[in-house]
This record gives sequence, structure tokens and C-alpha cells, in this order.
Amino acid sequence: MSSNLTKLDIMRRFLWILCLWYCSACLSIAYAQTEKVTVSGIVTDEQNQSLPGVTVFSGSPLRAIGSTTAKGSYSVTIDRGAVIVFRYLGYLERRITHNGRQRTIDIKMQVDNNQLQEVQVVVRGYVQRSKELSTGSSFTISGKEIQEVPVANVEQLLQGRVPGLNIQNNTGAPGFRGSTQVRGLSTMTVTGSGSESFLQPTSPLYVIDGVPLDADKASEFGFQQQGPGMSPLSLIPQEDIESIEILKDAQATSMYGSRAAYGVIIITTKRGNSPVPRVRYIGNAFMKTPPMLRETLGGNLERQFKIQQILGNAIGMKDIYAISQTPFLSDSLNAYYNNSTNWQDIFYRTTYNQTHNVAIDGGNQKLNYKANIGYFGEKGVIQNTGFQRFNLNTRMEFRPSERFAFSGTVYGQIGKQNKGNGVGLLQQGVANNGQASTLLPGPSFFQSSSGVASSLRTNNDNSTRNLRTNIDANFMVIEGLRLTTNLSYDFSSNLEDTFTPAAANNQFARVYAFNGRDYQLYNRNSINYSKTFNEKHNFFINAFSEIYKKGTQNSITRQDKSPNDQFQGPWGFDAWASRGGGVLTNFKDARQASFAGSLSYDFMRKYIIDLSYRLDGDSGSGIDNPYSKNPAIGLRWNFNKEKWFENSEWLNLGALRLSWGKNIVPSTNLEVIYGKYNIGGMYNNVQGIGIDYRIIPNPTLKPVTTEQFNLGVDLSLFGNKIDLIYDTYYKDVSNLLFERYLPNTSAFDILLSNDASIVNYGHEVSLTIRPLPASSKFNWSFTINGAYNRDVLTGLPAEYNGQFIQWADPNDAYRQHIAKRIGRNALSNYLRINDGVYSHHGDVPVDPVTGKRYQTNGRYFEAGDPILRDLNGDFILDDFDYALTGNSQPLFTGGIYSTLSYGQWSVAIYTSFTAKRTVLNNALSDRLSLMRDPFALDANAGPRAVVPLNSIDMWMQPGDISKYPYAYDYTRYNSILPFRPDQTLWEEDGTYLKINSVILSYMFTKRFAQNLGLNNIKIYLSTENLHTFSRYSGPNPENVTNMGRDVSGGYPVPRTYNIGVNVDF
Amino acid sequence: MYNLPDEKEYLNPNMSYSSQNLEPILGRTSLMGSFNSANSSLPLTFEIVNARYGDGRPVTDLFQTKPTYVWVDAYDGTETSLEAIEAKRKLEEHPLFEVRPSGQFIMWAAATEDLVAPRPKDSSDLVQNVRFFDLKISNSGGETLIRDFQVRPWLERAYEPSTDINPYTGGPAPDPRDPLNPDKQNYIRPALSNVIGVQSKRALVSNDQQKDVIAFIREVPGGTGNTIRVKVLDKDTIPIAPALFNETNWDLQVHGFNKTITTEYVQYDVAYPIPLVDIPTKYTVNGNARFNLRYSRRDLGGSRTIASIALEFKIFRKGDWEVVFQFINDNPKFEDE
Repeated sequence: MSSNLTKLDIMRRFLWILCLWYCSACLSIAYAQTEKVTVSGIVTDEQNQSLPGVTVFSGSPLRAIGSTTAKGSYSVTIDRGAVIVFRYLGYLERRITHNGRQRTIDIKMQVDNNQLQEVQVVVRGYVQRSKELSTGSSFTISGKEIQEVPVANVEQLLQGRVPGLNIQNNTGAPGFRGSTQVRGLSTMTVTGSGSESFLQPTSPLYVIDGVPLDADKASEFGFQQQGPGMSPLSLIPQEDIESIEILKDAQATSMYGSRAAYGVIIITTKRGNSPVPRVRYIGNAFMKTPPMLRETLGGNLERQFKIQQILGNAIGMKDIYAISQTPFLSDSLNAYYNNSTNWQDIFYRTTYNQTHNVAIDGGNQKLNYKANIGYFGEKGVIQNTGFQRFNLNTRMEFRPSERFAFSGTVYGQIGKQNKGNGVGLLQQGVANNGQASTLLPGPSFFQSSSGVASSLRTNNDNSTRNLRTNIDANFMVIEGLRLTTNLSYDFSSNLEDTFTPAAANNQFARVYAFNGRDYQLYNRNSINYSKTFNEKHNFFINAFSEIYKKGTQNSITRQDKSPNDQFQGPWGFDAWASRGGGVLTNFKDARQASFAGSLSYDFMRKYIIDLSYRLDGDSGSGIDNPYSKNPAIGLRWNFNKEKWFENSEWLNLGALRLSWGKNIVPSTNLEVIYGKYNIGGMYNNVQGIGIDYRIIPNPTLKPVTTEQFNLGVDLSLFGNKIDLIYDTYYKDVSNLLFERYLPNTSAFDILLSNDASIVNYGHEVSLTIRPLPASSKFNWSFTINGAYNRDVLTGLPAEYNGQFIQWADPNDAYRQHIAKRIGRNALSNYLRINDGVYSHHGDVPVDPVTGKRYQTNGRYFEAGDPILRDLNGDFILDDFDYALTGNSQPLFTGGIYSTLSYGQWSVAIYTSFTAKRTVLNNALSDRLSLMRDPFALDANAGPRAVVPLNSIDMWMQPGDISKYPYAYDYTRYNSILPFRPDQTLWEEDGTYLKINSVILSYMFTKRFAQNLGLNNIKIYLSTENLHTFSRYSGPNPENVTNMGRDVSGGYPVPRTYNIGVNVDF
Repeated sequence: MYNLPDEKEYLNPNMSYSSQNLEPILGRTSLMGSFNSANSSLPLTFEIVNARYGDGRPVTDLFQTKPTYVWVDAYDGTETSLEAIEAKRKLEEHPLFEVRPSGQFIMWAAATEDLVAPRPKDSSDLVQNVRFFDLKISNSGGETLIRDFQVRPWLERAYEPSTDINPYTGGPAPDPRDPLNPDKQNYIRPALSNVIGVQSKRALVSNDQQKDVIAFIREVPGGTGNTIRVKVLDKDTIPIAPALFNETNWDLQVHGFNKTITTEYVQYDVAYPIPLVDIPTKYTVNGNARFNLRYSRRDLGGSRTIASIALEFKIFRKGDWEVVFQFINDNPKFEDE
């Protein structure tokens, strides 16, 4: 009892002492606060480049007390001993405690590649919010990280940077974009057939400076697109980008409406931020080299090889005699057949290109402006292709008082593109001609084949002229209540003119003209209100309405037969030579009105709840389901603010996020809901108008619904040395449209219904390590991020009973079918199973009933032929012997990157990886089947090149155990088809690790720069697409279609070597 | 984890056969049924169930097991002895009628008339005489039933061409020109080329109107059960010496061994059926074995002309068979003009 009393006594005494100490401490602070001191200094980044416009804060609560000048210097008056905070977008916050005597404090700020900083700003529903309070899953990339590699489309630099954002740069065509997916598959719609199967793109919604933009606009037709096909993203100069934020889960995207089901990418461009006018110049000179091309045997070697092939595989004297009847084999003295032409060299080239960009900005908080003038030029590695961009972007911001702000932007962009005679993504003509026999003479003044003429001499001129204007005004009515209005108008004019010379088109020249225009008028009015009660309860309400008016009209003209190649238009109309045209079916005149509201509440920034709802009405939806709806809930717990972590040394930030959201989109158009009439022929001299019998109208179509759950953890440990972000999600896409084939008694062909569904689930991790202390001269950070996504098909229309085979077009050379089966990955291949090569004749199975060997197309398999599994057991390889196999979508994607800087030097390496994906190596299939006919008497194909196959594991004689069947048996080739594309022999693992870019930069010392009369100079060397590590046997596992097919007619992805300079005047 | 549906094998209920009426000829191996698996996951398991006659009596005779030949290696026509041929096949016990994993139905050659009753000889088609069965098709994804297959076997015809056999009764086939005349019948007709009659001095023919030569395929008693011989009889049924067919390549007539040439016939030891497998070999034409007896003589005008008398045929039942060319009206002229 007594001991208890004593304890209590001691405690009481201790508390007293504590109280006294605390009071005195308070007093001393109060005393210190009274004394002011002026501190000045220079703020620089890690490379000693001065940072203008850095905001300096002090006081409690923090108040902005100044900002740095153009030269990065500042001077502020603070309380002696107070904390000074320096904040600059894209950099880590620096906090310095004044030691009471300092007059000069020079600050070095570190680039922020930290996703978890409290100061980091995220955008939710067009409003900037603190990342600390955001419940959704998002990832931010600073514009600084994407400057040093010149690219036509900035999207390609995001590859491997964001977990869950799967970017495949699967085309090297200048100005085109690859495929982008956030969190797996959102569609199963595959258009095209065989090798040219094209998964409907489901790109995220891009919001550029608060204005939504449809990035898929140019690619809605798949490969066979018409018009310039330039991605709108290719028109944004990378130099003008301040930051990019990728919103992934349903809570983050909920306020962005229907298109946000596929994720949202927010691009913020730079704004004026320098009291003294500042001019920056960025220039790059870069070389693009084509990847290694196919090895070819040239000249006489080709001839000898073909003759040996014939002699070795002939089945009768007829074949031997045929040699002497084939001039290019026998007539070696004929100059026409006595060449060694490198055809690939004629079509592929190394190009030298440059970009220039001048950015001017200036102004202060009250009035600032910026202008960005840029040029980007890239000549394609395939002759006669290229892309150029000119841009002039300006922005002005006017903030006469704290309560009112007004900004206006004008973006003017011109993209010019040359596709040659291809369709952009595919260059089938070049691929075909590049395989021509080397014995033929190359193009010359005197002669040129039509294929060469069409590839090299087709005049193709595409241009997109885009003008985007945007004004934004906001007004604070009372403290916390802000009204904002935003009005933007975006207009593009798309033109394509193609002139095909007579030599390339059966002696009749042809013109093709595409004329399209798009516009989008957009208005958003919003009101938001924030209020804090008792300094603990914070409310934030955001509500806005959006109105869109969108229109598209594209038309084409095609005309054949000009008088000569010099006269390229205008041509008069002549029905005889007209090849049709008119307005294309993607005509659009649409309206959309949306209302959205969100409510956020947090308790001491510790417990956060977000509720949001959005309603979209679209003129393209039917009467029954006119609205898309997006409810979402998000919860967040910043557990590092809990008491038990208050003094934690190791936990800087810890948060747990949980969100749920739904995105309900009427994904149809009026045609599908109400049917369509077509203008037909004349009947009794009256124009006939009849029903379009392809799709039966279905007014009861339900909207496509995407429901997503997300659970995330954010951790920042050991003084920001380790950052870890983990997210796991479950995304259910239901009511997907599916074409159901109707019985032929029903007049219509197809019923579109909502009976398909897919589930994606997965995990995303991003881990950043900064092992060196802030005081170190070295600054090193290392990031690895990865995402695992699995898609599962969960629903199909009932009559399909769980499986649907999308057969390739019977005329398609690549009979590679697509299978969709419930419970499996949504897009599988449907192929013949290859089990190797028959080593001996006796290995071919014999039908015990008929005594016949296993056969196909009336020919019996022999040694050296592929073992194609006889699945149905009838000892005949026929159209039933197909099986589901593979997964065309990758399971793992991610990237590893690291930056290291020391003094003036810095080096960065960025890699990305994709793993566990089935790629069909059609390029190899094409290459091996070049041997199919040494005579090549086929008039269309012409003689073919010979490729060395020494490196191929191929059957050559009985007893060989090999992977690839015998290529030289040309007499049986067309029945056995040993290299038929529809077999699993071509299925390979498309796992790769790619070194995207390596950047080495050097910042000249301030002194040196100033001697030259400049403020800063930085030079850098960088490469793009440096090397890909892969076991894939084809040229590039990434340069495949989004269905995982390596089309040999695809545009190769070039390698870039760049030298760039960055000058501040 | 998320309770998603598991992938299972796909079984399309629309699987079908192009025909469900099976009409095999007894005594030879028939592979029947054109099955459309309709993209179902392969392989499938097939089971014949509920085999019954049209009146409900169970069918059992089809499913008795008997030894029958199955191929274990590929016959290709290059074998040099009967043993080499026999090494490529073996006798196995099989139900006379069964379905294999491809969905094809097999009526084995062991199904003879005495084991399986053929359709009635009066050509009636009563439902109680028809065998029916249902087919259960399954894989791990489920099962489905295709109902009411019919089996209506034809009686044995041991050889082809069987134009001399009435397929319903097994008796002589009626003459196509005079089908109701019981005194006339149809015969097997050989192909004749440049065969000139000694007396008529015209090219002999064998067709519906005129039969200068007919052929018989018949068994001769007392052999080893593994022989075939070819014989030509003149209009007086006296054998013509094979040596007269001087252009005949006797080694390429049938895939036989131990060729014996007498003055009456040429005989070979062979393995039955003939041909063994329906593949092109140097002994076959259009999937048939054939005897092609050729001779040459000097024609009018002095040129050399080659005459031939030939028959393409198949024999399904093991035995000692002979192929007989019988001249009816005139004898062939072997002498030079």
C-alpha cells in the first residue's frame, strides 16, 4: 500500500517538473518569436542549377513568405530559430531550422521521385488535393524525368514507370502510339483476323490541363485506319510537360465519367514561374537505326543454294529439268539475273533527326505567362515515312487578388506524317518487297518493280492541325468557397493526301484524299468548399457540371487514272475512274452532360473518407439506359499519425487505403439500339432505302459496368530512404457487348447483347530505395515496380455454353484463331499443338484400322515433318485438331530504374519488363517458309530471297531430334505446310527485359555558363530502346500486336542515340 | 480466391454426325461416321449405349469380341515376304462393332454374316429388324447423348467389283439390260484394249450390250488359304498359256511372293485382304489391286501394238482365290498380222 503511494508521489512530482519545463520552453519560444531576422541564399537543384520560383514558407501554421528569383536567390524575414520550408513542385520539400545566427542559407533541393510525400499534389475531379488525403490509387511522374529522350509520343517514356500501367511500344512507326492498358483487359472485342487481329484499344482517358481528350480517336479502325491516324498524344511536346499523374482505381477515376473506366492519365503542362523573364532552349540531335535485319544469302550464293535445294529434294526428273526452264536459276550470265541486291537496304535506313524547343516564361504570382515553341522531326527507319511536329503553346495566368484567378491557354499544334504506302502500323508492302530475290536488279533509273515504286515513290502527306484553347476562371466567394468555370474548344483538321504513281498501280496513277475534322466544345462549372471545424474535422465538397459537344466528320475521295505522274490533282470527277468515297461511318455529332459531386471528410488528416458520384447523360445512349453512373467510396487511414507511431524513427509515413467504385457506361451507339437504314439502289426511279440487316436493334442493351475494389498500403521508412506502395485490386467488367450470331431464318445476322464479362485481379508494387544520406555528395535512387494482372473470362452468352471460337477469315494466310473460354484468360489462341518433328519415318503413327499413316491434305507425314497432335484421333490432321493454348496478354509488367548523380554529373538508366505472355512468332514462320518454292514461278510472288537457316534447330536427316521441321522439301510443302502459322511451334514466351533508356548528363558549372553569358548549360547523351534481353527467337518480343502476334509486316522499333543540350538564357 | 469460375473442358451440345445411318458391308473393315466435334475439347470419350432393335429387344451380336487384324506398323508395298507383312499387323480381340475416340464407328472384318445378321434378303426394311443405339459423348466438362443411330449391315460381298452379286440376296445379280429375266445375270467385266478377235477380226469389248470377255473372282478349293492366281480361258474354257501375254510384268501384278507360272495360270502367295491398305503402291491403281495381262503383236501396217486385258479388284476374305478372264465369243489373236 505504502509503496503504491510513493509511486504516485513520484509521478506527481515528475509531472510537475515536466509542466515547468514545458512552460519555460514555451516562454523561450515566445521570446524567440519576437525577434525577426533576414535570411537569404540561393536555391539550387542537385546539379547546381538555380531554381527560380521556389516558394519559401515559415511560421505556424506555415505561410508563404517569399519565393526565389530567376537566379534562384531569395531573401526572407523570419523569426529567429524558426523553421524554414522550401517547396517546389517536383522536388522534395526541404525543412531547415534556423540556428539563430545564420544569415545565409543555401539550399540544395532533390528531385522528387517520391510518390508518398505529403506535399505532393494529386488531382481528383479537376481539383488539386493533397496526396496525403487521397484515398484512391495513383502515381505521379515529374516532367523532369521525361525530358532527356526525344520521342514523338511522350506516352512511350512512361513504360515501366508506373505499376499497373502496361505500355507496349509495339510499333516504331513515327507518330503512332503503342498500346496502353491500365490494370488489364477491359474488352474482348477483337477485330481483324489472323496475324492482323487487333484488340479494341481501351486507352485511359487523358486529361490535359483539365480538358479530357480521347487518345483512341485515331486508332478506332485498328490497322486499317483511314486518315492520318496520328495520336493526339503525339502532338504534345514533352518539353512542355510539368507532370503526369496516372489514376488507377475506381475512386480516383470516379469523377471523370464514362471513359474513365480504363483509367485516367492527367497531364499538366508547365506554367510561368519566374519573376524575371527566362528563356530556355532544349535541342536534341538524334540518330535512329533500324534493328538488325534479316540475314540473306546474296547473288550467286542464292542461286547455288536454290539449285542444291532442288537437286536434294526433287522427286523426279521433271524437277531437274525445271531448273533449265527457270531463267533466274540457269541463266547466270544474263545481266538481269546476275545481281546481288540487298533489298532490305533499299527500304530501311538510318536517319538523323533533330528537335528544338524554346520555352519562355516569366511573371509572378499576380501575372505570369509562358510560351513554348517547338519542333520535332523524325524520319522513319523505313524509307518514305516520318513524322514532324510544330507547336506553339502559350499560357497566361492572371491573379489580381487572392480571391480571383484567371488563366488562358492556346495550344497550336501541327503534326505532319508520312506513312509511305503502308497503313502506318503495318508496312506490308515493304516487308514483302524486302524478301525479293537478290538476283533481281535493284531499282534504277531504267526500271523499278511496282512494289518498289509503291513503297518509295508513293507521295503520302498527312497532317493534323490541332488548336486547343482553354480558359479557366475561379473566384473565391467566401473563405473556403470557390467557384470555377472552364471553357475549352479543341479543333483538329486531319488531312491525308496520297498519290500513287502509275508504275506502282498497274500503269494508272491513283489519288486518295482524306479530309476530316473533329471538334470538342467543353465547359465545366464547379463549386468547391472546404471547411474545418475545431481544427480537427475537415470537410471538402466539390461539385461540378460538364457539358460536351463533340463532332467528327471524315470523308474520302479515291480516284484512279490520271493523265501522267506529274499531274497529281485536282482531278475532275469521272464516274469511270472514281473508286468511291464519301462520308465515313464514324460521323459523330454528340452531346454529353454530366454532373458530379464529391464529399471528403477527414479527422485530423488521419481518417479520411471520400464519397463521390457522377452522372453522365450522352446523346449516344438509348432511351432506356441514358445515364452512366459512377459511385465511389474511398477510405484512408494515415496510421503514422497515430500516437503509437508518434515518435517512431523508422516510420515516416504509413497509410492504408481502401476504395470501391463502379463505372456504368452505355457503351453502345444509336445504331445498335435503334437499327439503321441504308440507302440502296434505285427502284422504279425512286431511291430505295432499306433496313440494314447486319445488326438487329436491341433497345434493351444494358450499360457496361466496371466495378473495382482496391486495397493499398503506402509506407515511407527510415527517413524516406525506402518508399513502398502496394495495391491489390479486383476489377469486374460485366455486361460487355458480345456479338451473338442469329439463325439465318431471322433476317438479321447479329444480335448484340450484354452477356460477356471479364474479371481482372492483380497486385502492384513500387519500391524505391534511396540508400545514401541527404548529406552525401552522391545522390542515388533505385526503384523497382511491378504489376501482376490476371484476367479471367467469367461470362459468355448462354448458347455458347462457355466457349466461343473466333475463327480467322478462311482466306487469311495466318489461320490463327482466338478462343474465349469461361474460367480461362479471356483471349487465348486456338491452334494445332506441335509436339516436335518426326525423327524417323517409323515415328509417324499408323491407323490400326485402315493401316494408313497419319496424313493431312491427302499426304502422309514423313520424317522431318512437324508432329501436329491428332487431337480427335482419326489419324487425319483436319479442321477439328485445334486446341486452346496460350495467353496473349502479359501477366507481369513493370520496370526497374535508377538514377545516380554526383556533382555536375548524373546518370540514369530506365528498364522495363513484360513477362509471361504468349507471342506468336509469325516472322519466323514467314522466314522459314521462304524456302517453300525454289522455282518461285508464281507471277505474283516473284523469286524469293534465301535466308541462312544454319542457326535454326532444324531436322536434316533421319535421327535428328529437332524443334523445327525440314524446310527444303518443296515438293510436299503445300500439302504438309510444315510452317503453317496455326500451330504452337510459333508460340513463344514473350518475356523480355528492355533497357529503355540510358541517360548521361553533365551540367556545366555556373561560372562557366556565366562566362558564356548564359545562366545554365546542360548537355546530355541518351539512348532509347537500347537493348532487349529475351529468349524470344524473333527480332523483338515487344514489336508484336496487342494480340501477341509478331507480324513481319510490322514497323520495326528503331534504336535512338541522342545528344541534347539544355540552355537557360 | 475470388470465387471465379474454374476452367473446364468444353463440350458443345451441338456436336453431330453428318449421317446417323450406318450401312457397313459385312466381312470387311468399315470406318464410318463423319463427326463434327463443334470445337469441343478433345479428346472425347464415346460410349455406345442402349443398343436395341426397333422393337426394343437388346442387340448383343454386334458387340461379341472376335480376333481381328489391326495394323501396328505402316504397310507400304515394299515388304519382301509374307512374314514381313504379317509383322506389321496382328490379331487383336475387338468387339465386332465399336466406336473409337475420334467418334468414328468401326465394323471389323471379323463381322461376318454368320456372326451378325445382315438386313433381310427380301429387301424389307422393318423397324424391328433395324439395330438402334445411342451414343454418349463426354469429357471432363460434361456429357451429351446423340440418340438413335441405325445399323443396317449389308451381307458379305467378298470381292469388288461385285457387279455379279445381288447385294440383297447374295445370289447372281440381274442383267442390267433385262433385270427381270431369271436366266440372265450380270458379270464382272474386264477392261480390254486392242484385243482383236481371231475370227471376228474386230476389237473385243465387254459392256452391257456385248460381252466378249467376262471375269470371275472365285475361290478354288484345296489351297493354303494365302494364294491368288490369274487364269485366262478361251471361248472353249481351255486355259490360255500365260506365256502368251508376253508383255506382262508378272512381278508387278499383285503384291505376292513365290510366283508360280504354269501353262494354265500364274499363282502368287499373298496376304489378304487385297490390297492390304488403301494407299498407292506399285501394285495398285486407284486403290485397287489389278491384273493387267499384256501382249504385243505386229499390227496391220507393221507397227507394234500392245493389247491388254485388265481388271481392277479387291478381295476381302482370306482364301485361295482366282481371277478368271473368260473369252465368250471369240479368242484373242496373238499372231502378227
